[in-house]
Amino acid sequence: MSERASQSMSRSKRSKLRRLVPIVVAATVIALALLIAIDVGGAGPSPARAQDFEAQAQQIESQLLCPQCTNKRLDICELAICVDMRELIRERLAAGDAPDDIILFFSNRYGERVLADLPKSGFNLVLFGWVGGSLLLVAALGTAALLRLRRTAAPAAVAALDAEGERWLDEQTADDTSDDTSDGSA
Amino acid sequence: MNVLASIGAASLLTALATAVFATGASIAGHRISSAALTTAGRRGIVVVAVFTTLATATLATALLRDDFSLAYVASVSSSDMLVHMKWAAIYSSQAGSMLFWTWTMSLFLATFTLITVPRIPWGAAHATAVAGAVLTAFLVALVFLASPFEVSEFARADGVGLNPLLVDKGMLVHPPLLLMGLTSTAVPFVLGMAALLSGRVDSAWLRATRHWALLAWLVLSVGNILGGWWAYTVLGWGGYWGWDPVENSALLPLLPLTAFLHSAMVQERRGMLKPWNLGLVLAAFSLAVFGTFNVRSGLVASVHSFSQSDVGQYFLVLVALTVGVSIVLLAWRAPRMRPEHDFDSLLSRETTLILNNYVLTAIALIVLGGTLFPVFSELIRGVRITVGPPFYNDVVGPLLIVLVALIGLGTVTPWRRASQETMSRRLRAPLAVTVVVTAALAVAGMRDPFAVLGVGAAVFTLYATLREFALGTRGAQRARAAGGVGSWLAALSGLFDRDRRRYGGYLVHIGVAVMAIAIVGSNIYQTHVRAIVAPGESFELGRYSVVYAGLTQTPGTANGVESETVAILDVRRGERSVAALAPGRRIFGNFPQQPLAIVAVDSGWREDVYVFVQGWDENGVAEFQAFINPLMLWLWLGAAVYTVGGLIAFAPVGATVAVRRELPDGAAQA
Repeated sequence: MSERASQSMSRSKRSKLRRLVPIVVAATVIALALLIAIDVGGAGPSPARAQDFEAQAQQIESQLLCPQCTNKRLDICELAICVDMRELIRERLAAGDAPDDIILFFSNRYGERVLADLPKSGFNLVLFGWVGGSLLLVAALGTAALLRLRRTAAPAAVAALDAEGERWLDEQTADDTSDDTSDGSA
Repeated sequence: MNVLASIGAASLLTALATAVFATGASIAGHRISSAALTTAGRRGIVVVAVFTTLATATLATALLRDDFSLAYVASVSSSDMLVHMKWAAIYSSQAGSMLFWTWTMSLFLATFTLITVPRIPWGAAHATAVAGAVLTAFLVALVFLASPFEVSEFARADGVGLNPLLVDKGMLVHPPLLLMGLTSTAVPFVLGMAALLSGRVDSAWLRATRHWALLAWLVLSVGNILGGWWAYTVLGWGGYWGWDPVENSALLPLLPLTAFLHSAMVQERRGMLKPWNLGLVLAAFSLAVFGTFNVRSGLVASVHSFSQSDVGQYFLVLVALTVGVSIVLLAWRAPRMRPEHDFDSLLSRETTLILNNYVLTAIALIVLGGTLFPVFSELIRGVRITVGPPFYNDVVGPLLIVLVALIGLGTVTPWRRASQETMSRRLRAPLAVTVVVTAALAVAGMRDPFAVLGVGAAVFTLYATLREFALGTRGAQRARAAGGVGSWLAALSGLFDRDRRRYGGYLVHIGVAVMAIAIVGSNIYQTHVRAIVAPGESFELGRYSVVYAGLTQTPGTANGVESETVAILDVRRGERSVAALAPGRRIFGNFPQQPLAIVAVDSGWREDVYVFVQGWDENGVAEFQAFINPLMLWLWLGAAVYTVGGLIAFAPVGATVAVRRELPDGAAQA
């Protein structure tokens, strides 16, 4: 009796293990593919590179926009003014200016529109308030609506669907059963 | 007298008169119950499409015949432009794009009138009246504010030619598809308005709208994707999406449309969310009109903007009218729109679909705010600011990650109610795979929280969705094996036959997940190198070395190009040459101050090498901006899967009909 029990236990363990196989295989394949694809170790600014002069210059460029084009990044704009700005960034860096001071210099000279990253201060806080307000509004109204849906539902008139609609709905709900009963474990 | 200008202007005027007639006849026909009048109204919509087609053909003829006496033709075309670019010139500027907008919208509405209106007796007259009113609104602008058929005051020997940025084959696909995507939102809007006006606010309008909304969503999606592809491969804007105000305007209608395609399922199955669904289609069209106002007003600074004109104010009124009427009608009919069923459980597919709608709504509100904020800043403070990619990446990025994760969660959650036991059983495998994959990537060095969460959400959804295909195929295969045919391929294609919308939708989800991974890779793990090199020298770019041979200049041949200068680059990996690239610059005779960058891209499975020239001196010493963009090819592959999925979901349900026919009559009726 106990032997049979242990046999069935080991069988159920084996079947559990067998179920794990495809999951492990899938995880390994996806992880390997992504590891090969995204060179996560090799790219991105490493601390050693951030100290590099050129990387620092590019870091500043990436925070500025062309003052003449609309929404064009400074680093990719070919206008003469942008070529000059890029040179100036390097000159000032070489002279020992801090990156923030260089960005401030361009912001003072050409206006706030050259800042790629919107300053989170002053009037601009209205936009961030709008973002927070939107999220809160959707969350609050959304939760209220969900709770209301649970309470106030009333059955509709039966004539709401025509024959074709009923057939179509039957077809859809027929899928439900296969959907609901399908075993989730792989 | 200019014959073409007269034909064009007369066509538009006739179209306007017919659109007004169609609206009037539909209203009167409904009031006095005259079938003759409502039929006349319906035919009126088709006639409008005929005349706008004639007007478009007239403008095309004028462009092809180099009729520079037309001011529009002279401003966008020139005699040396190739035929296909002349076609693109139709929608390249204010008046022409308005004509293209009105033309495609009239074609959609005419097709809708011919196919769908006869099937909606409850709201045929209302739909036709609204369609006529919408066409009237746009034809008024076209006839009185921005006609492409105005004759020049003085004769010109040649035209100015197309703006250099637009001289590309991409111009043949991206703008027309985007414009068509925007105009096709008119049909769901008309159906929604018809439901509200007629009072039939049950699910009848929804069934009629499903296909049209899917079409609008698909065309608009492809238009946006092609815009990204064009920006990346041709325009050299350093990326595929810059959150430019006009890009945002094209994205905005897509958000409520996507939300609608999901929440419509909840109404179809459970009779819930009726006012919400109506609101979504009305919002999609309102945002499309807002988009056209945005482009045409010159209010928002954008690389896409047309010059400032009176049309802007007109469209502002139109946007306000669309939104105002929508809100009033929704409020008026709200008492009739009670949910038909109880919400069984918060742990259900319905909830995940509703949450998806919430996230899409939040994204839409934030993008709208970000798009308009520079205008407010200038109006109130007098300071021009830029709301650029860093803002959107920080704010919208996390919401997009939640959205991708919700796709996977929705896929594993059953309709109506799920027990905790079911949920834990269904979530076990996808979560295990996600944890293992992200842990492995984190160990390997992927530590950026955005990257970990983004890839995690995408892997979760990818696994959950692929498993649906695997389970469905296995089930179908077993069923077929019993009948003697057991090929898994046949079983897989059988899945699409059985339920195109569902499995087409799953394909779209797979496309989204793949695109999400590619967006993480290309944004967060991009390598950027700036190099100033002389001919014969080389520079390092990640694991490549790029050898610069020198510059070559060739004279231009067509489309107003005066000359082309390219740098000859050899991209090497170790001793092996892997790609020859030729980035450079194109100079246009009529636009010497506006050179166009020629971007050079070498696409691979793993990454793109992307180079453009910033400038050079008389000795040929050139400045290059070079990038390694990981996984870019997967962005386009994901987009292709997304599109194929959309097409499958949209395809006529021929196969389903065949299955129905096989069933005995009683079974179908049961």
